[in-house]
Amino acid sequence: MTGARASGLKTSDLTRQRRRSAWLFLLPMLVVLAAVAGWPLVRTVYYSFTDATLATLDAYARVGLDNYLWLMRDPVWWRAVWNTVLFTVVSVSLETALGLVVALTLNAHLPGRGLLRAAVLIPWAIPTVVSAQMWGWMFHDLYGVVNAALLGIGVIAQPQAWTADPNLALPVVIAVDVWKSTPFMALLILAALQMLPQDIYEAARVDGVHPVKVFFRITLPLIRPALMVAVLFRTLDALRVFDLMYVLTGNSRSTMSMSVYARQYLIDFQDVGYGSAAATLLVLILALATVAAITLGRVRFEAGR
Amino acid sequence: MAAVTLRGVRKSFGRFEVIHGVDLDIRDGEFVAFVGPSGCGKSTLLRLIAGLEDLSDGDLSIDGALVNDLPPARRGIAMVFQSYALYPHMTAYDNMAFGLTLSRTDKRTIEERVRAAARLLQIENLLERKPRDLSGGQRQRVAIGRAIVREPKVFLFDEPLSNLDAALRVQTRMEIAKLKEDLRATMIYVTHDQVEAMTLADRIVVLNAGRVEQVGSPLDLYHRPRNRFVAGFIGSPAMNFLEVAVVTAEAGAVTIALPGGATLRIPVDGAPPPAGTRLTLGVRPEHVGVAEQGMPATVLAVERLGGETHCHVALEDAQRMLVRMEGDIPISAGDRLRLNLRGETAHLFDDVGQRL
Repeated sequence: MTGARASGLKTSDLTRQRRRSAWLFLLPMLVVLAAVAGWPLVRTVYYSFTDATLATLDAYARVGLDNYLWLMRDPVWWRAVWNTVLFTVVSVSLETALGLVVALTLNAHLPGRGLLRAAVLIPWAIPTVVSAQMWGWMFHDLYGVVNAALLGIGVIAQPQAWTADPNLALPVVIAVDVWKSTPFMALLILAALQMLPQDIYEAARVDGVHPVKVFFRITLPLIRPALMVAVLFRTLDALRVFDLMYVLTGNSRSTMSMSVYARQYLIDFQDVGYGSAAATLLVLILALATVAAITLGRVRFEAGR
Repeated sequence: MAAVTLRGVRKSFGRFEVIHGVDLDIRDGEFVAFVGPSGCGKSTLLRLIAGLEDLSDGDLSIDGALVNDLPPARRGIAMVFQSYALYPHMTAYDNMAFGLTLSRTDKRTIEERVRAAARLLQIENLLERKPRDLSGGQRQRVAIGRAIVREPKVFLFDEPLSNLDAALRVQTRMEIAKLKEDLRATMIYVTHDQVEAMTLADRIVVLNAGRVEQVGSPLDLYHRPRNRFVAGFIGSPAMNFLEVAVVTAEAGAVTIALPGGATLRIPVDGAPPPAGTRLTLGVRPEHVGVAEQGMPATVLAVERLGGETHCHVALEDAQRMLVRMEGDIPISAGDRLRLNLRGETAHLFDDVGQRL
């Protein structure tokens, strides 16, 4: 396409017609995206430079960068950033490692593999709000099954307030996320594993390569492109995490994520200007993380050769 | 270099037995080809020798040592796969060196071996490339190079040329023949292409439905096929088979009646069957002559290859034959011919397909 343009060739009627119909097919999606994502995003960015409140959405004054300057000076915001980053790094690492283990197991020729594969998907299929509530009950300090079980086998001496204890709350949130999202990782990795040619594994057997070496020198490099895409998806998901924290620990500062912080200001404190500034910063951080991941991880979205 | 011995080798997948007891002695330094139609078990047999499949029964020894329970890497073999099986993320050099780097061979030795193999295969300038930047023929050379650097006792080739185009196949065939001279190692070569087997092998093993039909030198199989299957499989175009009856039998020969009234005296090895026995006559297309007198035939179709002419004919009793003639013969469908057969180049098979 660019080659034709560079060499000054006249675009044929057929090509122009094809381009027109391509835009025509894209139009409905573009309209919907602009309405449900584009417009709210523009409004949020705009409000972040105002002192609008939920009650006075139409009457506001422009305050320039004030909201952002306040945000920079709020330790609670930085706590939320730290919580989110810690949550993201730990949960995505654990999910990647466990997902690999699960995928390699499912990739082996086990009897009943199909059933196992379906069963593994269940945590991913349950809506987060439902599974978070479920785990909330299991981690309940008085009636929860986790305390009962751990007391029973003598791991802990007294019941723990899992979701209220500032030292335990974030690990609990991470554990629930790992439980929920490992299947997603496992299935993406399994799909990549099943694309690998089998003959090179036979060549490795003839070469006498130790299975551990086969994994690190052959399997891992070959599934890396798919793995990086999966990690990127999960990272973006984890950076904007909201429902898990909100259901399990409410607005508790020990687990508050950037999204929870933004929602608290937007809805609870009705401060649309300030909340919008937090939300806009979150979008900026997400964009930066994406660019960083794509450049550093050399992620390619086309099928790897 | 080593001898490979198979004794009563059997292989089953679930309830299906695919190799039904194979006995084979492959001599030190010999080039043996396994040929047979698809599904005859030739690749399975090779994979059994490689250790990629486990024996269900029988014994396999390489260089005098029983290797039934040894993993592939400890059998002293190297294998070249049909699909090349190169590691896609490694350069040609790393592909060849990978097996060695793991077996604590020092760097200098590895480099020397890889360079030597690359020189032999003329791929020295391709060593830094990855498989995706190599052509099919170049990939195949890297795969062969990977086998060479292992310095195995036995080379195993699984249809190495079948993914190459015709011209490259002929060229690579010549190079494998040269490799055989240079390396002087035992080589086992699986192919469905009998031309490859005929040109490369010291001995050919013809397999059919998991059984060995015949083992012998290429010309041995061509001139003295043990049964109708081998006779039909070896030789291109394939041998003609005609239904005939014995007229008279004597010691060491039988005379048969040909369609159209003529008779033919054919020498046989064993006791000749009595007059009246129904037999199958086998004649190769290149052994049918056109003469003034002989079996009358009508031309059905002509295929002109330039250097030779293939002529499909119908005999008096409607049985069909293929006649191969040297040169571009001016002949066309509907022409009447007289065909001349010679007893020495004809074969007789009994009702179970055994050669007389």
